[in-house]
Amino acid sequence: MPRIKIDHTKCTGCRHCETACSLNHVANTVNPRRARIRVMKEEDQYFPVIAGPFVDAACTSKQTIVIGNQTYDMCALCRASCPQKPYFIEAETGIPLKCDFCGIPPNPSCVRWCNTGALELVED
Amino acid sequence: MDGCIGRYLRVNLTEGKHRIEEIDPRLLEKFLGGRGLGVKVFTDEVDPQTDPLSPDNKLILASGPLVGTGAITGASCNVITRSSLTKTLACAKTRGHFGAELKFAGFDMVIIEGKAETPVILSIIDDKVRILPALEYWGRSTAETEDLFKKNLGDPWVARETFLVSIGPAGERLLPLANVVNDRYLSVGGAGTGAVMGSKNLKAIAVKGRHSLHVADGNRFVQVVNTMINKLNSAPLASQSMTQWGTAFLVGLCYQKGILPQNNFRWASLSLKNVGTEALNSAFVLRARGCFACPVACIKKTVVKHPTYQGKGMVPTYLAIGALGVNCGISDLSAIGMASMLCAEMGLDPVAAGGALATAMELVEKKVLSPEELKIDLRFGNAEILIQALRLIATKKGHAKRLGQGGKALAESSGRPDLFMGVKGLSLAPFDPRAIQGMGLHFATSNYGPHHLYANTFFDELLNVHENLDPWEIDGKPGLVKRYQDTSAVMDSLGLCNWPLMGLKFNNYVPLVNSCLGTSYKADDLLLIGERIWNLERVFNLSAGFNSSHDTLPDRFTKEPISDGPAEGQISRISEMIPEYYHLRGWNEKGEPPPETLKALELENE
Repeated sequence: MPRIKIDHTKCTGCRHCETACSLNHVANTVNPRRARIRVMKEEDQYFPVIAGPFVDAACTSKQTIVIGNQTYDMCALCRASCPQKPYFIEAETGIPLKCDFCGIPPNPSCVRWCNTGALELVED
Repeated sequence: MDGCIGRYLRVNLTEGKHRIEEIDPRLLEKFLGGRGLGVKVFTDEVDPQTDPLSPDNKLILASGPLVGTGAITGASCNVITRSSLTKTLACAKTRGHFGAELKFAGFDMVIIEGKAETPVILSIIDDKVRILPALEYWGRSTAETEDLFKKNLGDPWVARETFLVSIGPAGERLLPLANVVNDRYLSVGGAGTGAVMGSKNLKAIAVKGRHSLHVADGNRFVQVVNTMINKLNSAPLASQSMTQWGTAFLVGLCYQKGILPQNNFRWASLSLKNVGTEALNSAFVLRARGCFACPVACIKKTVVKHPTYQGKGMVPTYLAIGALGVNCGISDLSAIGMASMLCAEMGLDPVAAGGALATAMELVEKKVLSPEELKIDLRFGNAEILIQALRLIATKKGHAKRLGQGGKALAESSGRPDLFMGVKGLSLAPFDPRAIQGMGLHFATSNYGPHHLYANTFFDELLNVHENLDPWEIDGKPGLVKRYQDTSAVMDSLGLCNWPLMGLKFNNYVPLVNSCLGTSYKADDLLLIGERIWNLERVFNLSAGFNSSHDTLPDRFTKEPISDGPAEGQISRISEMIPEYYHLRGWNEKGEPPPETLKALELENE
């Protein structure tokens, strides 16, 4: 099964993936807020996050994750959109968004526009 | 025109009011947007004789029609005003994410007028335009301002998507060397703009929004962008050198050709070993950062772990290494990095500040000024003092006030104006015009002082990307300079970065523009727009009191040949190139565009 491998050490935070995604889903329209991939910045790192399932309730507990000597907010890296995290929701209709592996096969559009190799399509 | 929002925001700080206005589509066709539209609006509304620091001067932030659409490197935001350092029209440019976010916030352009009574921050967040009191931010560095503003927003998810441009202590103190700083570490490259912002008591502008941008032909646009990314990747300079080291890779090349100036534009035998790309690799851990939609990502961020110089920030670019480093005799990269970070935090322009310090150092060396007079022991090669001096300049403390007025004022008040290496009051970007003739001509004729990013002639003269030209020859240089000046005006107006021209031809951009904007421009049409913008800026400067006598270089470059190094014996032949340049531009021998030239450019009513 193909999957998108995310290497956050290569991400430069240019958000070209966001524009690619929104161009591919809404005809002739660019809006990063309507994209199904968002680049999150935590401390000095960028984390591309691809929209996962929508949950209608927020988690009851907050988690932090420690990588190396830095602490990150798990909420930012989470793929879900929830009442507490106003991401991955279509602005005009309020419908939650989820990644659908778009674009010309086999490449999803975000992978094709990611020039640094942070997003990569891999086969298991 | 697609791509554009078609609206701009006019904020009057004196009255504390704002107004949203529509942009005339005919203006967009004629000037594209960004720099072109900003210059048009500015020259229409502001009298050329206006004092730059008076409330009558305006500050325009304009992003281009391709910004935010996903067009590669479409991230520019131009800051247009009358600069308090050069007194010319300044179209400083910055990238990062601010320009794109401004468009998502629903505006192509923001015009700031008047002067607030007390410090304020302009906040354009989710369609709410507010002028917020900013007393608690006053005096803070740009990074602190940004952190505090985001904390005060209260919502981390909103803060995450908010981008700021701000001024540091230098701008608040109205120093002519002050700069606007974008995204905490990117300076806009326009000395004097920070002081104009400071004179309006405007500490920062914050933007965030959720508007959509429309692209004329999405499918075609996506294909064109794909092709351009592939083309860029097959160009080694853009895809490898720039991606790996940023613009700092130019240091070695310029050194080998004798272009890298040392010790205030005199040659000295400094070892390249200390400042080349290998030294860069060992001094910093390089982490690539991209501006919006940029596949190159030439910004390099780092954490400096040097016993004396510590901090977080940006790896020095070619400009910083040249102006703050080598030209001040300093070859310690950690120190140069620290100095460049300090410039960003304090809101100082690295070129202008470096130039002022280099002038002061030569004045001290020539015993025109004594260190006692300056109260700082400025000497070529003394990095610690340089850093100390930068801090003093920005906070206007001690005896650095004279330094803070810029290199020209310092040299003139000391009675040796010939020791200031600059044109129109701005210090030269670190390219020795004797060893790179085309750049020299551009430095002399540029509308906003000697800044290399308004005509990247070194792509052809030094890197030989499109044409194989000898930097020391003058054949064909006037044409080259004109072409690059016009190209740069078009790229800024579209909102694109100039650096990818190192791998792409200008013609490659035409399908990108047309598929995005729904227009049918040809390359020549676009270059004509560039020429129109260049002439409009020229007309403004002529009315502001500039004339052909300002299109010159300091005597050092025309009278003293380079004494040593690879370009030994070279001298600038600027006076031979100027007449041909004026002729190509269609100007008379006084450097003025005659009515028929203006008519051909459809500028007769300006």
